[in-house]
Amino acid sequence: MPSLDTLLAGLAKERATGALRVGRAGTVYLDDGRITYMTCAQVPGAERLLAAGGRVPESALRRLQADGGTERLLEEGRVTLGELQYCVLGAVLDAAFFLLPVTGARPRFRPGEGHWLGGRWYFDVPGLVRECARRRARLAETWPRADLDTSPVRAARRMPGQSVTLSDVQWEVAIGADGEATPLELAKRLGRSGYAVLLAVRRLAAAGLIVAAAETEPLPRRVKRLDVARHRADATAGGPLGPVVTGDPTDIELLLRLRKALEELT
Amino acid sequence: MTAREATVLALDSCLTEVMAIPGALDAMLVDHTSGMAVSFSGQPRGVDADKAAAALTEMLRASMDGLSRACPGDTVRIGDLLISTDQGHHLIRLTDTLFEGPLVIYVRLDMERSNIALARHRLRAISEQLLA
Repeated sequence: MPSLDTLLAGLAKERATGALRVGRAGTVYLDDGRITYMTCAQVPGAERLLAAGGRVPESALRRLQADGGTERLLEEGRVTLGELQYCVLGAVLDAAFFLLPVTGARPRFRPGEGHWLGGRWYFDVPGLVRECARRRARLAETWPRADLDTSPVRAARRMPGQSVTLSDVQWEVAIGADGEATPLELAKRLGRSGYAVLLAVRRLAAAGLIVAAAETEPLPRRVKRLDVARHRADATAGGPLGPVVTGDPTDIELLLRLRKALEELT
Repeated sequence: MTAREATVLALDSCLTEVMAIPGALDAMLVDHTSGMAVSFSGQPRGVDADKAAAALTEMLRASMDGLSRACPGDTVRIGDLLISTDQGHHLIRLTDTLFEGPLVIYVRLDMERSNIALARHRLRAISEQLLA
């Protein structure tokens, strides 16, 4: 089965108008071949982001969806055009980040179907794919632990330093991480975009402030002198070239931390 | 990615306004949370918009971290940032939005032809029109 972006590129070429449902994972809306809106079941949509901001209650959004649409939303002066565009832009890119890699679902195209928030900003498929790749690379650069994206996280009991500076999303994540919710569940609870929460989790994990709920020891264990001596002995005993691989997960952790620290020094 | 709306102040038409500031050389809109270049104008002159946006985001993050340590109260909300170099001025305006953000408007100004006070005033007015 072709990947979702190949399918979308095909629909763009045919200048299709309608909705492409990707199983239960989400839906992509197109107008004349251009993407107008995208939803993904894993992350909050633009409605949730708008409601979480506190200016437009969800009930008002439902009423507008049924009658009046974005035209009335703007007329009522609750949001400006710039805000609406910015919100849709954020929500669509967030949905694309989680929806584009989805495989296994059989996409169905329904011609003519549209989304009520669509049509204020248009997206092209290559642009979306490029931006999603950039975002993925940024996550890995921040902290190369992809498992944290999907596992329940909790705040570390002790801070591995004396003081720390947090951004607004990081603060919300730090106090919301209860050891039961995964980052994407947290995003829904907080009304923040999924990517913003993933990024905050990775950054907090790099600082040693957030750990996977299953991890028992939040602080990096000191390498015992005995271990170091043994590694050195292994290395000189005609072992494989390159750094010694111990297989000990805490050791890899330590190296990653070290690399991160060195990178920050430059 | 392009917008096709031409009403009041849309995300992309706002850059036309920014470029109308006397001495403006190029401008860019950046989503601070994701580090994404929302739109940009002027000649990129060998500058990759994606990389420039990411670099600006990191710079802002470092500024916020640094300032929060340096000022009383420990929490900061940057309104705008002015950096003057030997070649010109860089003016950066941060606007809080009702969901995520802040949205960052960046403009590079010509050393000789620009008036910083005017540019700062105009940029603030634009951001207020865009995101009330």
